[in-house]
Amino acid sequence: MADDTRKKTTTKAVATVTLTIDGKSITVPKGTTVLEAALQNGIHIPTFCWHPKLKSVGACRMCYVEIEKMAKLQVSCATEAVEGMVVHTDSDNVKQGRRAIIEFILLNHPLDCPTCDKGGECDLQNLTFEHGYDDSRFDFRKSRFVDEGSTSTFDDVRIGPEIVLNRNRCILCYKCVRANKEAFGEYDLGAYERGNITQINSAPGEKVDNPFSGNLVEICPVGALTNSDWRYKIRVWLTKTTPSLCNFTSSGTNTLFYKEDHQNKIFRTTSRRNDDIDDGWLPDVTRYGYQIVNSPDRLRVPLIKKEGKQVEATWDEALDLIHKHFTEISDKMGSVCIGGLASPSLDNKSLYAFSKFFRTVLNSNNVDFRSDYRMLPPDAETVFSRLCSRPFKIADIDDSDVVFVFGSDLLREHPNEYLRMRKACNFNNARVFVVNPYATKAADIAALEAVYKVGSDEQAINGICLAAIDDNLVSGPKAKALAEKLSPLTLPETSKACGITVDDLRILARALAESRKISFMCGEIVTRSKERETITTAVSNLNLLFGLENKGQVASLARYANSGGACKLGVQPSPAPAVKDKLKEIWGGYPECEPHNTDSMLALMKKEEVAGFFVIGANPIMLHPDRQFVREGLEKLDFLVACDLFESETTEIADVVLPLCSWAEYDGEYVNLEGRSQRAERAVKPMFESRPGCEIIKLITAKYEKSLGEDEQLTSEIQQLLDLDSALPLPTEFMAVKVVVEDKQDEGFEIPLFVTDDPHHCGHLTEKSPSLTSFADDAYLEIGPDLAERLKLKEGDNVRVESPVGKVIVPARISEHIENDVVLIPRNFSSTPITSLLMRKKRIDRVTLSKVDS
Amino acid sequence: MFYSPVITNGSEAAASDKLHLFKYVEDSEQYKLMTFESHGGYKAWKKVLTEMQPQQVIDEVKNSGLRGRGGAGFPTGMKWGFVPKDSSKPRYLCCNADESEPGTCKDRVLMERDPHGVIEGMAIGAYAIGCHTMFIYIRGEFNHCIDRMEQAVEEAYAKGHLGKNIHGSGYDLDMIVHTGGGAYICGEETALLNSLEGERGMSRIRPPFPAIEGLYACPTIVNNVESLAAVPHIINRGAEWYRTLGTEKSAGTKLFSLSGHVKRPGNYEVELGFSLKKLLYDPAYGGGILGDKKLKGVIPGGASTPFLTPEMIDVNLDYESLTAVGSMLGSGAVIVFDEDTCIVWVIQKLIQFFKHESCGKCTPCREGTGWLKQIIDRIEAGGGQPGDIEKIEEICGNILGRTICPLGDAAVMPIQSSIRLWREEWQYHIEHGKCMVKTEFPFK
Ligand SMILES: Cc1cc2nc3c(=O)[nH]c(=O)nc-3n(C[C@H](O)[C@H](O)[C@H](O)COP(=O)(O)O)c2cc1C
Ligand code: SF4
Ligand code: SF4
Ligand code: FES
Repeated sequence: MADDTRKKTTTKAVATVTLTIDGKSITVPKGTTVLEAALQNGIHIPTFCWHPKLKSVGACRMCYVEIEKMAKLQVSCATEAVEGMVVHTDSDNVKQGRRAIIEFILLNHPLDCPTCDKGGECDLQNLTFEHGYDDSRFDFRKSRFVDEGSTSTFDDVRIGPEIVLNRNRCILCYKCVRANKEAFGEYDLGAYERGNITQINSAPGEKVDNPFSGNLVEICPVGALTNSDWRYKIRVWLTKTTPSLCNFTSSGTNTLFYKEDHQNKIFRTTSRRNDDIDDGWLPDVTRYGYQIVNSPDRLRVPLIKKEGKQVEATWDEALDLIHKHFTEISDKMGSVCIGGLASPSLDNKSLYAFSKFFRTVLNSNNVDFRSDYRMLPPDAETVFSRLCSRPFKIADIDDSDVVFVFGSDLLREHPNEYLRMRKACNFNNARVFVVNPYATKAADIAALEAVYKVGSDEQAINGICLAAIDDNLVSGPKAKALAEKLSPLTLPETSKACGITVDDLRILARALAESRKISFMCGEIVTRSKERETITTAVSNLNLLFGLENKGQVASLARYANSGGACKLGVQPSPAPAVKDKLKEIWGGYPECEPHNTDSMLALMKKEEVAGFFVIGANPIMLHPDRQFVREGLEKLDFLVACDLFESETTEIADVVLPLCSWAEYDGEYVNLEGRSQRAERAVKPMFESRPGCEIIKLITAKYEKSLGEDEQLTSEIQQLLDLDSALPLPTEFMAVKVVVEDKQDEGFEIPLFVTDDPHHCGHLTEKSPSLTSFADDAYLEIGPDLAERLKLKEGDNVRVESPVGKVIVPARISEHIENDVVLIPRNFSSTPITSLLMRKKRIDRVTLSKVDS
Repeated sequence: MFYSPVITNGSEAAASDKLHLFKYVEDSEQYKLMTFESHGGYKAWKKVLTEMQPQQVIDEVKNSGLRGRGGAGFPTGMKWGFVPKDSSKPRYLCCNADESEPGTCKDRVLMERDPHGVIEGMAIGAYAIGCHTMFIYIRGEFNHCIDRMEQAVEEAYAKGHLGKNIHGSGYDLDMIVHTGGGAYICGEETALLNSLEGERGMSRIRPPFPAIEGLYACPTIVNNVESLAAVPHIINRGAEWYRTLGTEKSAGTKLFSLSGHVKRPGNYEVELGFSLKKLLYDPAYGGGILGDKKLKGVIPGGASTPFLTPEMIDVNLDYESLTAVGSMLGSGAVIVFDEDTCIVWVIQKLIQFFKHESCGKCTPCREGTGWLKQIIDRIEAGGGQPGDIEKIEEICGNILGRTICPLGDAAVMPIQSSIRLWREEWQYHIEHGKCMVKTEFPFK
């Protein structure tokens, strides 16, 4: 049963009402329901259909209370507490009412509890135990949703790749359908028929496969919705839970791992509701991503290359080899010739140890955590890095009156924030504006979704600014100052350049001007662009012009589980000045050598100026734009060390491969996109011989006969860095925005390509989760119906996607909501090398599509 | 030409200056705009647009004492007054033409034979609440009504009674004819709104009431066809005149759909307060029981209202008198049963209907109606068991007043009243496994 004993914290002065429940005088904010008032004060009222994050519908009628002066029993979940109300939750009348409901629900219920996976955590079991009869007055044969003549109670309808429905157990609380609609905006599940033959089922011709569908299983109060992930694996009472976090998205979604004492594996993940972050909803990638931990494909032991072949080795042999080769390189070429790339999903300690090792032991500044950005600039002082460092609160999206998304396919990049945006719109009437180079799934709630021409990101923003100036929506001096900087751009020209109509630009400008509380979010379409500096400069102007940060939040959202930590701990070549100073202070020194980021290290490898490379948790071949470029660089190296959970394109060519622990196998702390540091606890012992990142780095350091410090010392150093306010302010002056003309197009390649994540995947590891691959297990391309028609492509056709540098063949999917000429391809599947299509120096990748005749 | 030959008292109405809803109901051309206008149609709409403020319209309807004819009898003007005056959201008016309660067939006559009267009433209501888009939700099976309404709406647009800047007033009003999906529950106002939105037709919990948060979460008024059709007459002849009709608490006239074992089943417009006995036996109306048998009982207000026995039919047909005898005026469907009707059989038919039509949202109605049907089916089939009556009573008690919408109550009230009034017949049925009265029906 959903337990909502937490009080809502609110800073605003709100009107209150005082009522009496079971003789206890209770004061709550106006608008609170009787049920919430009771729960918040430790008075238990049973419920089935109520859910703290959904609108009350009063369907199950389990939450009856008696209210003085009202003749009938009232449903407390849908009755607002009013001044002076006297409520009884346990009168004879109420007890009788509840018993009747249980009796009604059980009439046709199969009572197949012994074989039901919900057993032990079933609301129906528990509430029947508490409030039901011990006897049945129903003397008819129970009706069944099963094959004619069958005596089985099983009604296993597979309504999606993961979800199995048993309609006999369903108590029609409608929570699944409501959550799907109200919280996720999905309609792949519905109710059909009427009366007592009403049934929940997938929508005709559809599968329940939306990226939040796992939540439906979690909130189902009975065993009507179960998933393959958990079905028939273990009884819940044999499991113990460990608090953890999502290691795939950047929100730090709170989770629980379930494990059993005698087996070193995780059985499932559920939510650990944190209203500041996740409202208790998990994207499927968060829910099923844990399966990679148990995967039999995990790297088991260290491997070292002998005569061109990787062979099994002991940890000691492998570490010795690393030390030997890195020392040779340092001695020969200087330690600046060694670089490292760490995954932004590693915990704080691993990331910090990684940077400390490079900077204090090797004396190199070549560290980075970004493997999928193209042509990174040196970053410390850029507008881009300032925008990335701005504070952001997820929960503040809720009551924003305007939610503005720019350059982000929010559902794929930030599913949790996508849900918050939907909540703001559906529950608090926020207006949502989405400005992107292609139409995304957020469009259904958007007051306006403006689609700009691919590659005209900064012009779209300039256009909004110019529209505001034109409409006198901003103060004269500001308007004048920015107009000067943007001159000679004009509104009509800019509108034409970005493809958003002047009218739409005006609507967007008005929304920004009129907003009283705004959440402005940028995403990967900005951060991964080669022109990110230009675009963020335009955003900075926008911020100044409308005073956005004074009335809300403006940020470029960090993308991975600990990207936030990586920045705060200085795991990039040029950390923020405050971080760098602090590091210098802690370490009593800081390497002076020139810093290189991932992209420039790869370039230096080709020139043989970087000869040793240490990759931990990352897979640049799969994620970095221009696969050929990366592979050539890595192959030129004298010595490549790769630590990962699985064999990958990168480990394959490494000289030493070390098995790395997942986040479930050690205690770690992670900084989410808000800058909030949270802890994920060790749920299972390290699989096989794998080791946590921090430990690996410490072991290598030991080979140098040095130490990075005891655990406590590391913890305290990390804390000092986390405590530092390393946020850089956005510029306070308007700046000129360089107008970027698109790089010369390669003849014949016309359709812009966006490489994204599949909504059920994230990065390069999730394809090891069977549940997640049941939704998508290989790459495909997504195009709109218009383009499909012109190219004569049908759903499922195999299509050759060709860029000037590479080609892949993938099946086509046609997405109704995409209207312009773009093609999207997920990058999460190693069998299809998508990055081989990309060119790192291009702003836009363009491809051709042609049907492959089978 | 009439689509459906239904007996009405149209000729009486034509000669009366009190009866107004059926005044032209026997005129086979009335559905045409020209005829309608020649009978003074759309005069009230023009008057409202040119001479009255919305609030005046609301006040006029309030003062008239008009109460909702859809079943609940809620004062129409008062309902209109609930629409927030300061809301920036659009407001909507929905005419409830889903008429599906067994026995009720009055709205359909109005729509088929006098569709412009309905449009005019809706338009005035829309104006009163500041609505610019109004809907009529018509029962899906009413093909003829749908045709007639669509045709009438087209004509009304063409003549400028609907559309932009109506008659130069600056007022815009659009009308959408929506056909229902064929479920009784879609007549319940909140389920109707869900259905109109494209959602499954299931009732919503109140509050919020539709007047505050209805269609697309905007202020919405839902009114019955007959309620709205009365409005132009109130505007034309004044609230005072309307109050002179009917009784003090039940002003105006009402359409009664008379069905069952009577000689002249049909739709009759009478002043509220009319004698039920007269309606049943007067040759101008029901003309007496079919085959001159004895009366067994009457459902006075639609399938959901408690029965009256022959001793109780000396009652006036108005809201207060029927409440006083433990029943309700409801939608005005008077269903008559003769002495040869087995009460268990009647109830079986009713519970079959309500079980089938329960929307499935709330537990007591969804599960309870199913269970009741099983028990009652068994009794009717001769398999009744001792204790069944008590069980039925208890189940009814667990449904009554405990559901989201009144369908649950509607399902159990006739059952409860039948047991109260004819308990020995139920008992006989259970004990002997057959009907106590010989059941002979001209129809099945
Ligand atoms: C199950 C159910 C079915 C109903 N069906 C109808 C109907 O078909 N037509 C109607 O006007 N009102 C119907 N009502 C009543 C409506 O909910 C609502 O009260 C009415 O439309 C209001 O209009 P009025 O105030 O003009 O009577 C129904 C109510 C219930 C509970
Ligand atoms: S499937 Fe589960 S969540 Fe959905 S209505 Fe049935 S019981 Fe409720
Ligand atoms: S009472 Fe019946 S029809 Fe009304 S909401 Fe409940 S289940 Fe639906
Ligand atoms: S919890 Fe209140 S009706 Fe279901």
